Amino acid sequence: MNIRISIRRVDPDKGGEPQWTDYEVPADERTTVLESLMYIYENTDPTLAFRFGCRFDKCGLCAVEVNGRPKMACFTEVEEGMKIGPLRGMPVVRDLVIDRAAYFEALRGLEIYIPEQGDRSTPQVIRQSEAHKKLLSCVECLACNATCPNYDFSKNPLSGPYVFVKLAQLHFDPRNTVDRRAQARELGVQSCAECRKCTCIHGINIRKQAIEVLTAQ
Amino acid sequence: MATDVRKADVLVIGAGGAGVMAAVEAARAGAGVILLSKEPVGYGDTRIALGAMSTSPDTAAGDSEDAFVEDMIRGGEYLNDPRLVRALVADAMDATLTLEGFGHVFLRNREGVLTRMEVPPGGHRASRVISSPWLGVSMCHALRSAAARADIEVLEETVCSELLVEDGEVVGAAALRTMTGEPIALLAKSTVVAAGGAGSLYYPHTDCMPAVVGDSFGLGLRAGAELVDMEQVQFLPFGITHPPALLGIPCGEPVVAGPFGRLLNNRGEVVLENIMPMTRAQVARVIVEEIRKGGGTEHGGLLLDLAPNLKSREGEFFVAMLKKFAGPFLEGARKAYGREAAEFRVPWDVLPTAHYNMGGIRTDEWCRSRVPGLYACGQAQGGVMGGNRLGSTSLTEIFVFGKRAGRTAAEEARERGRADQGAACEALDRLRSLRGSRGSRRPVELKRRLQGLMWEKAGPLRDGQGLEKALDGIGAIREGAKNLRITDLSRCNQEILDAIELPHMLATAEAIVVSAQERRESRGAHVRSDFPGRDEEGPVQNILVEMRDGRCICRRREAGK
Ligand SMILES: Cc1cc2nc3c(=O)[nH]c(=O)nc-3n(C[C@H](O)[C@H](O)[C@H](O)COP(=O)(O)OP(=O)(O)OC[C@H]3O[C@@H](n4cnc5c(N)ncnc54)[C@H](O)[C@@H]3O)c2cc1C
Ligand code: SF4
Ligand code: SF4
Repeated sequence: MNIRISIRRVDPDKGGEPQWTDYEVPADERTTVLESLMYIYENTDPTLAFRFGCRFDKCGLCAVEVNGRPKMACFTEVEEGMKIGPLRGMPVVRDLVIDRAAYFEALRGLEIYIPEQGDRSTPQVIRQSEAHKKLLSCVECLACNATCPNYDFSKNPLSGPYVFVKLAQLHFDPRNTVDRRAQARELGVQSCAECRKCTCIHGINIRKQAIEVLTAQ
Repeated sequence: MATDVRKADVLVIGAGGAGVMAAVEAARAGAGVILLSKEPVGYGDTRIALGAMSTSPDTAAGDSEDAFVEDMIRGGEYLNDPRLVRALVADAMDATLTLEGFGHVFLRNREGVLTRMEVPPGGHRASRVISSPWLGVSMCHALRSAAARADIEVLEETVCSELLVEDGEVVGAAALRTMTGEPIALLAKSTVVAAGGAGSLYYPHTDCMPAVVGDSFGLGLRAGAELVDMEQVQFLPFGITHPPALLGIPCGEPVVAGPFGRLLNNRGEVVLENIMPMTRAQVARVIVEEIRKGGGTEHGGLLLDLAPNLKSREGEFFVAMLKKFAGPFLEGARKAYGREAAEFRVPWDVLPTAHYNMGGIRTDEWCRSRVPGLYACGQAQGGVMGGNRLGSTSLTEIFVFGKRAGRTAAEEARERGRADQGAACEALDRLRSLRGSRGSRRPVELKRRLQGLMWEKAGPLRDGQGLEKALDGIGAIREGAKNLRITDLSRCNQEILDAIELPHMLATAEAIVVSAQERRESRGAHVRSDFPGRDEEGPVQNILVEMRDGRCICRRREAGK
């Protein structure tokens, strides 16, 4: 059976507004959005740009918006009339590919790392909290940024839930030496107390496990 | 527009576990480092690993370095280079500590003390395995952090198209920034290849990332390096068969069968029992042989029936263990076959899936290839695992040899000069010529043909005739690759990426096929239906491949020396 889906296309090199383009793709009840994108690239339109990786929801590379909500393309079944676009709020390189470069730089700028531990010959004693483990399940898909109504990349790419999750990871690391709450305050986490709209599509409770942790005194 | 030219003491290609470790270590040794990677930093197969890693043997519990070395070499069916195996075992604790220094935390007991898991993966006589709080991705948070902390230049989403060779030495690389489409020249005194394996040369019959299609091997071969035992491709015996979106996704290795799991064919007959102690290759072989005989299901697999485990004490214990340690495997089964299946009440339809390349660039224990200026580490490197890799040893490998490669590359860079920009001219021209090519063949079409061919003819079960056909097929695809059609876009043009990968894939495929032809026996992961047993006459041999006039040529050498 064939269905029609619509994809938001844009190439900043060519200027112009983003355009919704319709494509016909074969689908049965278990065909995924990722398979459809690959079908289009391989068979009908070699210019379509999108990212993907492991195909089983582990790597975090294929997040897109499906009917306005962030989803992993590899684990989302495709349906007639679906509208597929890039994650909102982040600059688009082309079509469904958003610019990820700022997020590596964020690690540097915010020192999202522990200090050098020096040469050791035996492992440290480390009590790792369950909260820390859970936060480490973040696959950095950036979907949460797209769910934050206040996220504005052009104002500050770092002031959003993804970075708050990273800061909370470090906050829980017993080897961390930087005040992560102070950093989060600099980034405006205080205004989150009223909002709490962001969600993680991989099951992290961002409000409880990151924002409440970072806003606590 | 002026060409972007950057200079480094050490250039590292690939930013999975091996590459990040190499780059950080080279910087610690005082080198100016550039780290580039096709994907963002901290991706590759490292990101999707289960995160179980072998550390040093627990001598207090009676385990020893010698026992660990022996296990790896017996498991590898005597193809391993013993110097590399000893290096891995000797440095395993150091690698553990270094990775923790990056920010990782391996799982600990209640008191916060690092503990080895109770039950080791198959082939280890004692447990050396430690595990990660949240799979490979938790490890990759630490890798990304360490790359950020280090004083290195990082170029994410930048793909290396070829190494630059001048007077027989590697002097850097040409690459493309995929987001913008700009070519870039990198001039370096030492170059480390850490671009991973070639699992996706078998796509969709693979559980590996699409970025690992054999670039390491293609880059190495074309720069004059030698590869070792490329026929040794590890297939995980249990991959998902359907729906198509999940084909190749992993759902287990032999241990997952438990004490009573069994394989059934389409007539409900038992094809295999007592699976747990077998190697991955042995089980994969039985599955593929039965399918060839017509025993496959409508989805092309066999049925893995785990239900008998539910009926005994021992089995129950095992099921509990699985739930604890093999989460992603169960998740795969649940997603494909439903909840009943994930609780073992309904059998799983399974087919082997390409997982890991034991073969790779031949190096000494300090990661030097035979080409001056060129080093290799991680899955890119060969010789460590021989004919079969024991579970949990690859993560050890990538960090141990990543560190060694970084250090050697930095030290030896001090004694070398740097080439000038001219060395990059031709490689950059080749790169620029791709965009807007007006031939008739799409690179992705040729990629898919090659991947299908490799699965059909050079997969888990091989024979002389099939390998001959594979070689013909590779030749035909190579001809097609001279006539590419590529769209004229610069930003994220997937077609250019495909066109960069294609020659590496062809070189790797040819290396695998000629090595498989040369090894006229079944050993390790290499199984030939026309030579079903090991060749017990004469010494065990490694198969070495090099490239001459664009073709792969084999020679043999006595293994274990
Ligand atoms: C599903 C799965 C589970 C696994 N689980 C385990 C486990 O629990 N324990 C274990 O020990 N092993 C495991 N393995 C194996 C292990 O994960 C890999 O062997 C290991 O991570 C490889 O690391 P690497 O750094 O060599 O390569 P990778 O991590 O694959 O990194 C390669 C890098 O090179 C880049 N690259 C490729 N080509 C180019 C190019 N031309 N230019 C620039 N960059 C390039 C890629 O983008 C990537 O960044 C698993 C493998 C899979 C697939
Ligand atoms: S709480 Fe609201 S403002 Fe704060 S990160 Fe979440 S969505 Fe954004
Ligand atoms: S917190 Fe969740 S949604 Fe946000 S990047 Fe991490 S995994 Fe993705």
